[in-house]
Amino acid sequence: MRMLARGGSRRERVRGRLMTAGAALATFLLCVAANLLAFGLGVSVHPEGFLVQTRIEYLGFFSGRDARLLTALALALLVVPTMAFVHQVSRLATATRERRLAALRLAGATPREVRLLGAYESGWRTLLGGVCGVALYLVVNLAVAGALRGAVPLVPAAQLVAILAAVTLAGTLSGLMAGRHVVTSPLGVVRRTPPAGPRALDLVLVTVGAGLLVAGFVDRGDFLRVPYVAVLSMVVGMVLLLFGLVLGAAWLIRVAARWAGDRTGTAETLLAARMVGADPRGWARALSVVGLTVFFGAGVGAQQGPILLRGYLDSSWAVAYLLVDLALLVALVTSAAALVAHQAEDLLDHRHSFAALAASGVPGPALGRVLTRQALIAALPVCVVSAIAGVGVAVSSIWDVYREVPGAFAVAAGGAVLMAGIGVLAATLVARAARPILRRTLRPEGLRDE
Amino acid sequence: MLEARALRKTFARTVALDGVSAEIGDGEIVAITGPSGSGKSTLLHCLAGIVRPESGEVHFDGRRVDTLGDADRTRLRRQSFGVVFQSGRLVPELTAEENVALPLLFNRHGRRESLLAARSRLERLDVAGCADRRPGELSGGQLQRVAVARALVTGPRVVFADEPTGALDSLAGERVMDELVGTARADGTTLVIVTHDNRVAAYADREIALRDGRPAGVIV
Amino acid sequence: MLGLLAERPKHGYELKREHDQRLPGARPLAYGQVYATLQRLQRDGFAEVAETVREGGPERTVYAITGEGLAELARWLEQVETPAPHVSSALVSRVVVAIVAGGAADGYLVRQRAAHLARMRELTAERASGSPAQVLAADYALQHLDADLRWIETAMERLTDLKEEMDA
Repeated sequence: MRMLARGGSRRERVRGRLMTAGAALATFLLCVAANLLAFGLGVSVHPEGFLVQTRIEYLGFFSGRDARLLTALALALLVVPTMAFVHQVSRLATATRERRLAALRLAGATPREVRLLGAYESGWRTLLGGVCGVALYLVVNLAVAGALRGAVPLVPAAQLVAILAAVTLAGTLSGLMAGRHVVTSPLGVVRRTPPAGPRALDLVLVTVGAGLLVAGFVDRGDFLRVPYVAVLSMVVGMVLLLFGLVLGAAWLIRVAARWAGDRTGTAETLLAARMVGADPRGWARALSVVGLTVFFGAGVGAQQGPILLRGYLDSSWAVAYLLVDLALLVALVTSAAALVAHQAEDLLDHRHSFAALAASGVPGPALGRVLTRQALIAALPVCVVSAIAGVGVAVSSIWDVYREVPGAFAVAAGGAVLMAGIGVLAATLVARAARPILRRTLRPEGLRDE
Repeated sequence: MLEARALRKTFARTVALDGVSAEIGDGEIVAITGPSGSGKSTLLHCLAGIVRPESGEVHFDGRRVDTLGDADRTRLRRQSFGVVFQSGRLVPELTAEENVALPLLFNRHGRRESLLAARSRLERLDVAGCADRRPGELSGGQLQRVAVARALVTGPRVVFADEPTGALDSLAGERVMDELVGTARADGTTLVIVTHDNRVAAYADREIALRDGRPAGVIV
Repeated sequence: MLGLLAERPKHGYELKREHDQRLPGARPLAYGQVYATLQRLQRDGFAEVAETVREGGPERTVYAITGEGLAELARWLEQVETPAPHVSSALVSRVVVAIVAGGAADGYLVRQRAAHLARMRELTAERASGSPAQVLAADYALQHLDADLRWIETAMERLTDLKEEMDA
């Protein structure tokens, strides 16, 4: 195995480092989130060895429990795009690796072995990253604890190990799953066509994931009297929920693309619709973070509604909300990277037919419009549904509050539209950013048959 | 009608064309022949306005083409030219009918009339049965005939074909050439075919033979 | 001839007509040839006189194939045409001489190509509207002309090497 793992090109090493960095970041964020949640435990161990009561006054903004909760939520939010980014990187690495190993396939290595190799490479890189993340967190934690004289608790070692294990597991799984999408024949790499329609597995994933997530949140450390299970349950729940939602989104995108393609009278839209409809899962994956951002953004906005209208806003809440908005923005920007990577791959696959179209007289700007409309067709249904879902979840969770402040519905609706709009706008802007890649693809050298 | 004078074109450090001239009349069927690396495709690209030569002139209907900007040349190709490639190069996600209708749609024709025109083109080329299938489901010969239909659907003045039968066996290639040449003669379309196969060149009225980027012997 | 008879009994006139029709590439048969062949077949025991027919004209003898004739036919079909071991084409000699003479090779080869192509164009046009037998014959001719042209192309590329060898 180790022998096979050697021999990567420079690009592969860069990808490896990116994966490690991503895992480190994810672990760090999770540890901090767990820390914030761990405040509820009350007792902590000072580095000098005696028990110290948590001195909450020192914490300022973080003294409010709900504020801590929100911040923890924001950080958990950031874990999602980070892991999605790691997954995207591992997918790209898989394609390159399989090309490299195609020769080995001729010598008899089975696809399973190649996939295991992928899992092994991803797993060990995320482990490395995770360890770095934990180390970094410990350093920060001890420093802060020392500075605030024990006001900040240390997260129990067991919880740290659990987080590390969860992140590594996720990384390994993502490496394994990335291999599933690419089928290697000894003659080269071929994309396997994904099955159509939502499967029962998707629904199971969504339910189980949502359940675990909710359970983790609700009990917050008192779950079964075993503290770290809460965090683990949250992480696993999040991952499962994400997978389930992505697959559901794929179905939604496929339906929307088919509808658009069958009705349109413009060439650009027809091309865009058919191309999106042929790879709904890829688009769903690329848009997953955007969708989640819209979901949380709309939900938080719906929650803000009654508070704003009632004038309950105070500085700590305001800061918390700002933090959450900031986190959402960062998530959006990270997802932009995933989107560009996806569209670049797509263009590469289509360079022959696009070059032929350009040669027969289709202007460059028209093909650029195809890219933007692809993003539009894929993003619009996802963002709209996410916004509605976000508002729905928020409104239903604080229903009594809403009954008292009917005006809040308007705010919630407005927020939903705004979030959906931002999501779609982000996707289309990214598509515009892909135009230079398009121009490079269309140079006449692309007309040579390779 | 279509004329090239003393064309010169280099790629990286290879000289693809070195002082090639050619003249093609309206409605003619001309084959550009030569071994691989002789510059045939480059000549075709220059004539079709896809590529600009470093020196020399290209004229179409008396107007100079090589000095036009990218947008103008693209418009010229859209309105007056059609192109067929060796491996068809259709969009894999669209059906054959949609692929053929695409140039019309890009010219801002309506959906229904474009699809109808596409279907009638496919019928003329004897591949109407493939209309609702995707390129991945078609045989090489059917693919090429759909590609020919796509090139012809806008009613171009000139059709440029780059090794149209290169990837086909001789019987499938024969069918494609029969249809291509038959339709061209019936509509009075000028045809410029790049090929290294003498039997394909025999479909043309005359040939322009190239070797190492220069004309080989006399233009026959 | 035996092949044609194997289909059903025919008289000489029919045999000549069918031969010319189905082998359009070959030279048309003369009546004398037909009857001479029929006599020989009779002598060898492969054909026999079936009947004499009168069709509002002179008497015609109808010949039929015998059992031995069928056996002979089967045997002939099993034989393989030996690929010619010697290159005896005039084309080859002319090309080699042209190269040896020096300088004239290029011009000659270009003219030869022109002639071949012209004939290929004729055949391609004929093939579009011919009977299946004509198409087969045209294909044969076209592929051989193509082979000649491809050999000429190779010869041109080997021109320099050939010259050195001959000068040595």
